[in-house]
Amino acid sequence: MGGLWRPAWGCVALCGPRWSRAGRVLWAADRAEAFLRRAWSGTGSAETGLRWRHGTGKRPILAGQPGRRPKSTNPFTRAQEEDWRRRNKTVLTYVAAAAVGMLGASYAAVPLYRLYCQTTGLGGSAVAGHGSDQIENMVPVKDRIIKVTFNADVHASLQWNFRPQQTEIYVVPGETALAFYKAKNPTDKPVIGISTYNVVPFEAGQYFNKIQCFCFEEQRLNPQEEVDMPVFFYIDPEFAEDPRMVNVDLITLSYTFFEAKEGHKLPIPGYN
Amino acid sequence: MSTAMNFGNKSFQPRPPDKGSFPLDHFGECRSFKDKFMRCLRENRFENAACRLESREYLRCRMDRRLMAQEPLEKLGFGDLEDGKAEAQRSAE
Repeated sequence: MGGLWRPAWGCVALCGPRWSRAGRVLWAADRAEAFLRRAWSGTGSAETGLRWRHGTGKRPILAGQPGRRPKSTNPFTRAQEEDWRRRNKTVLTYVAAAAVGMLGASYAAVPLYRLYCQTTGLGGSAVAGHGSDQIENMVPVKDRIIKVTFNADVHASLQWNFRPQQTEIYVVPGETALAFYKAKNPTDKPVIGISTYNVVPFEAGQYFNKIQCFCFEEQRLNPQEEVDMPVFFYIDPEFAEDPRMVNVDLITLSYTFFEAKEGHKLPIPGYN
Repeated sequence: MSTAMNFGNKSFQPRPPDKGSFPLDHFGECRSFKDKFMRCLRENRFENAACRLESREYLRCRMDRRLMAQEPLEKLGFGDLEDGKAEAQRSAE
């Protein structure tokens, strides 16, 4: 069958994409088709041969392509259709692959962005990382006194008595300071709480560094127990050099306690 | 945590503490040091600079009772106090 097709393909190759000359080609194509039909009826299945002889009007189904019915009987246009079909299939495959790739990329973006944030430190701290060496070497800026006030809040479902033990404290940037909160569990059951904090004004919050505190970890209070909760912090000395902080003399540190439920994992701060 | 939905303004992003969380002092082992510190604060009109010795003692108590990771006090910003105490002793003698 390949040999029969060769003269037809030769015509196609000569004519190329210039289908305007199809008229000249068509009569040769019809002749070839008539020849081919006879060939099919001879070598193909007896049924197709019978069908042709009886003339049911149906077009022959090409062997090896079940369910695929080319729209024309002209072998050149049929070849073109096959070509188009093949191209459509490849395009469809590429498009489907791109869609799947996009979906996968959107899922992969979350851990990848997290990795990027961890390496470059963006999206979390706006100031360069603080090692313990920095604390050791920092010099207090004695002429800039800042008042730090303390606020304590409790979520409605948590029945602790939570309050600061000092209303305010006067610190200077570069000096480490200690402050205390007190929490009491007046109920008869042990309660686990977890806290977060907030610093107002927001821009000053980036200079507020906590060395150690009691937030972001579950704290368990036994029934009728009262504990002191310290906060050990300092204000970065670069605070004094920031022109936007010239008018900031009051910083408010606010802690809020929530009840921790069993099996409930809070997200790591810094990725919100 | 900022609850406002305005994305134009800067929102506050809480950061975890550098050295983690203090274990709770369930048995009140360092309560006396804390009381000394609070008394000092009240007497000095809540100035932190005046009470740094007491806060250092409180942290030292925590470290001794294993309620805080052992760390040289210079790394916690009390380096000047160490020198100051040595100087004061030398000048007193």
